[in-house]
Amino acid sequence: MRSFLRLGAILVGLSLAATIPAKAEDPIRIGVLLPMTGPLAKNGIENWEAMQIARDMINERGGINGRKIEYLQGDANTPNAAISETERLISKDGIKITTGSFASPIAIAVSQAAERHNVFHWETTGAAEIITRRGFKYTFQVGAPARKYGQAAVDFIVNDLAKRLGKPVDGLKIALLWENRAFGKSVGDGIRAYTQSKNIKLAYDEGYDQTATDMTPIVQKLKDTGPDILIAISFPNDAILFQRKAKELDFNVAAFIGVSAGYSSPDLRDSIGDSVNGIFVADFPPKVNETALKPETKKVAEEFYKRYEAKMKRPPAGHASAGFSAIWALYTEVFPKAKTFEPDELRDIALKLDLPDGSLVNGSGIKFTNFDWPDDAKDAGQNLRASIGVWQWTKTGNEEVYPPELATKPPAMVPLPDWSKR
Amino acid sequence: MRTVKATSEGAERMPWLPRRGRISWFEIALLLGCAGWVGFGFAPSLQDVTILTFLFAGLALAWNIAGGYAGLISFGHAAFFGIGAYASTILLLRYNLTPWIGIFVGALAAAIAGSVLALICARLKGPFFILSTLAFAEVVRIAALNWSSLTGGAEGLSIAPMPNLASMVLASKSGYAALMLGYLALAYVITRFVEASRFGFYLLAIRDSDEAAAAAGINPLVVRTSAMALSAALTGMGGTLFAQYFLYLDPTYVVSPELSFQFALLPAVGGLGTVIGPILGSFLITPLSELLRSHLGNAAAGLHLVIYSFGLIVVMLYFPSGIAGALDRLKRRRSPP
Amino acid sequence: MSTILQLVVSGVLIGSVYALMSIGLTLIFGVLRIVNFAHGEFLMIAMYGAWAISHWLGLNPYAAAIAVVPAMFLFGAIAYRLVVSPGLDKPHLVVVFATMALSIFLQNAALMLMTADLRDVPPIFARSISVGSVYIKGELLLGFAITLACTIGLQWMIKRTYLGKAIRATVQDGEAAMLMGIAVPKIFLITFAVGSAMVGLAACVMLPLFSVFPTVGLNFVLIAFVIVVLGGMGSIEGALLGGICVGVVQSLSGYYVAPAFGQLFFFLLFLLVMIFRPNGLLGQKGAAMLGMNE
Repeated sequence: MRSFLRLGAILVGLSLAATIPAKAEDPIRIGVLLPMTGPLAKNGIENWEAMQIARDMINERGGINGRKIEYLQGDANTPNAAISETERLISKDGIKITTGSFASPIAIAVSQAAERHNVFHWETTGAAEIITRRGFKYTFQVGAPARKYGQAAVDFIVNDLAKRLGKPVDGLKIALLWENRAFGKSVGDGIRAYTQSKNIKLAYDEGYDQTATDMTPIVQKLKDTGPDILIAISFPNDAILFQRKAKELDFNVAAFIGVSAGYSSPDLRDSIGDSVNGIFVADFPPKVNETALKPETKKVAEEFYKRYEAKMKRPPAGHASAGFSAIWALYTEVFPKAKTFEPDELRDIALKLDLPDGSLVNGSGIKFTNFDWPDDAKDAGQNLRASIGVWQWTKTGNEEVYPPELATKPPAMVPLPDWSKR
Repeated sequence: MRTVKATSEGAERMPWLPRRGRISWFEIALLLGCAGWVGFGFAPSLQDVTILTFLFAGLALAWNIAGGYAGLISFGHAAFFGIGAYASTILLLRYNLTPWIGIFVGALAAAIAGSVLALICARLKGPFFILSTLAFAEVVRIAALNWSSLTGGAEGLSIAPMPNLASMVLASKSGYAALMLGYLALAYVITRFVEASRFGFYLLAIRDSDEAAAAAGINPLVVRTSAMALSAALTGMGGTLFAQYFLYLDPTYVVSPELSFQFALLPAVGGLGTVIGPILGSFLITPLSELLRSHLGNAAAGLHLVIYSFGLIVVMLYFPSGIAGALDRLKRRRSPP
Repeated sequence: MSTILQLVVSGVLIGSVYALMSIGLTLIFGVLRIVNFAHGEFLMIAMYGAWAISHWLGLNPYAAAIAVVPAMFLFGAIAYRLVVSPGLDKPHLVVVFATMALSIFLQNAALMLMTADLRDVPPIFARSISVGSVYIKGELLLGFAITLACTIGLQWMIKRTYLGKAIRATVQDGEAAMLMGIAVPKIFLITFAVGSAMVGLAACVMLPLFSVFPTVGLNFVLIAFVIVVLGGMGSIEGALLGGICVGVVQSLSGYYVAPAFGQLFFFLLFLLVMIFRPNGLLGQKGAAMLGMNE
């Protein structure tokens, strides 16, 4: 009888031990979906490096309550591959947390696949508005939605450039050029809507095929329009082609504002040399005025820049910083409060986050919408405090110029000198 | 279309390996195997690959009707795929039309597009035909990308992932696997039917020589157009199923040359102009490329594709009649003289 | 007025560069009757080669042609031996797929070796030349001149040398050529290699104008195919004419209609030509009917 009881006690003890959800040493597994091959590979790989630095840094600090972070990677080079890879990580590897994805079409696909399985998706940089407008519960977009990029550019014009150029806002001729895939179109739509709301009329508003090999018709039409300011959304290859063609045809503007993507890529300087100086870029800040950051954040930022530059031999592009900022916030603000790491629990924690601007490495804060956005009842998971500012290429590096709270230097080279003088 | 009876001896017994005009034990076994795979839910982690494999097998069979039997090598079938997918999705999102009906509307739209393409390319052969189909698909892609009011443009179309049988959004993976298997079976039955019919012989005739076929009283244009229309319709249906599974359509990727190549590659690897060829091609290539990507995608960017493409080159050069052709040679070597 | 002039001039110049990249393809097309789907990747490899020589030896890309063109000749010959010729006696689809697989292979091999970074060379000319109100980029003008020289040179080669005669004979009728004692397989090899060498030259001309990255070939390959078929398979003047047509159509449609449609207009142009003049503008009569070598 007694041995029977003893056996029973052992069995009960064993089964209790088996039901403990996770031992303290079990790693926290996160699925990382990024384009590692194909036309988006370059930025996908840069993002991946930033993610890895974040993982290394947090694991060196002891992980989350003793548990280390472990990544399972998927090569999401097209939306279909993104869906397949996400499905594989979820079904085969049992992943409940995913992140990614750099580009909007990939982000749309990954979050779709994640939501189907009620998996928590922490989108770091994908910008298309539709990411958070589908009524999903478990998708959180930490980076700014497309319209914020455009708003930053327009606000910069209205609040700063107009005065510097000595013209009233309605006396300025503003041109808008957007590449016609998901990102460019979203941002373009946002700029159009925003300028309309401010009663600013665009002198030129055209989308173009990003794979174009000849920019002559576009630049010629812009020349014939004669704008003061051009806002352009391009990817690296077409940005280079555009700048070269603008120089060739002697197309000059008083101010040139590129929006993210191509114009914020460090390669731009490699490719067009000093012509890049003076161009403004509306994007995630590469570095912000340190006084804008909380002291702990400042230290983390410095370490990130140091490690990234050591590995990649150049400073991080805005999207890589944004990727790092977002995932770091996940590690330091969401995970420590989690016990089961189930999507429902993570969702609750995320929705309660209220981090002021300057909390993240790139100057952003975090506060998510929750089906309460005035424009769209299905909007949930959008970060209202994602910061997009304007920085400028200069001889000495990239300086944040707007908004003033985040700026490291004031805008220079306004109006932009003609090609013959650059 | 009247069926043509096979006249070889052994007409009473069912052959073991696939043959023209006869159902073989091999195919029955394969069908039962697939049904069992789906029904008993083996390897749940491979369900995604299974779904894609069945879908692409059906798409390969669809392409094969025009490309394999009629020799109309098209690298633009992604256009029909996209038309089917967008048609049913637009009808679902705008007019709440159930995809169970929308799939046929999409098939019809694709068939019309297929006929148009056949008419455009009426006098063309060889590389000219191939490039025209490519150009056609690009025109469709650019139209889909820019006609935002209809297709949602660059941001694409999303179907809500709430399971709902009436909207063909299924809750379980096995459901989708069964759906795709059904599509595969449909494509198989249609192909078998065509192969055994007079129409099937017309297709072979124009594949070999338009002039000779015309001399025999066949109208090549009519046959080409019908073949293309049928192939396109079936491809369009696959497009709808794809849309209902992935729940997201992006024009750049849905109407892409890469997809068009895939539709042609699978039958080529499996064996053009046979019924079992496209199926075998998909069963080999689809899981292979998915598995290569998932296991090597992390190693070094691009490695999995380097290996995959190298393997393809070798297969194409040394197995030109595909797997079915290899099976055939095996059969001939084993059968008595 | 100056706008149209600028558009046409720029269209002609860039069109000639497109033509230069397509000359190799039309030769291969005309003689071997195969579609080389890896054409864009040959261009990409050659551009990387030109960039590497430029970057590490400090030469400008035009000078680098001295090394790139022979290197591409060799590369073409090897690719022909390994990937194309084993497929020639098989159904034509085999070569199509083999070259397609080759294109994926080259793209990803380049990705592994060179990473996805964009590579450029510094501009050769400090600023563009202005003639009246029209601007002309030096590198483009040079490209146009080189294309013209190439076209004339190749035409001379085709019309005056034995090799050229052999090539013309093979284009007209491969079997008859063999009966006449022409070593057709050798002609195939030489043509493929020469075509690849032309791509090498085109790459040197294009590098100052375009950045190179692993998937750059995708932006150009469809243009090349359209030009080849438009101009007539095997016709070098046809390639030049086709290239200029494409360049000008692109330029004018981008301005007067919308740049969003990108390549739509010349695909439509292509389809129109296929319906009404399937042999291309300067091609042989009946070429479109010939189809492939079986």
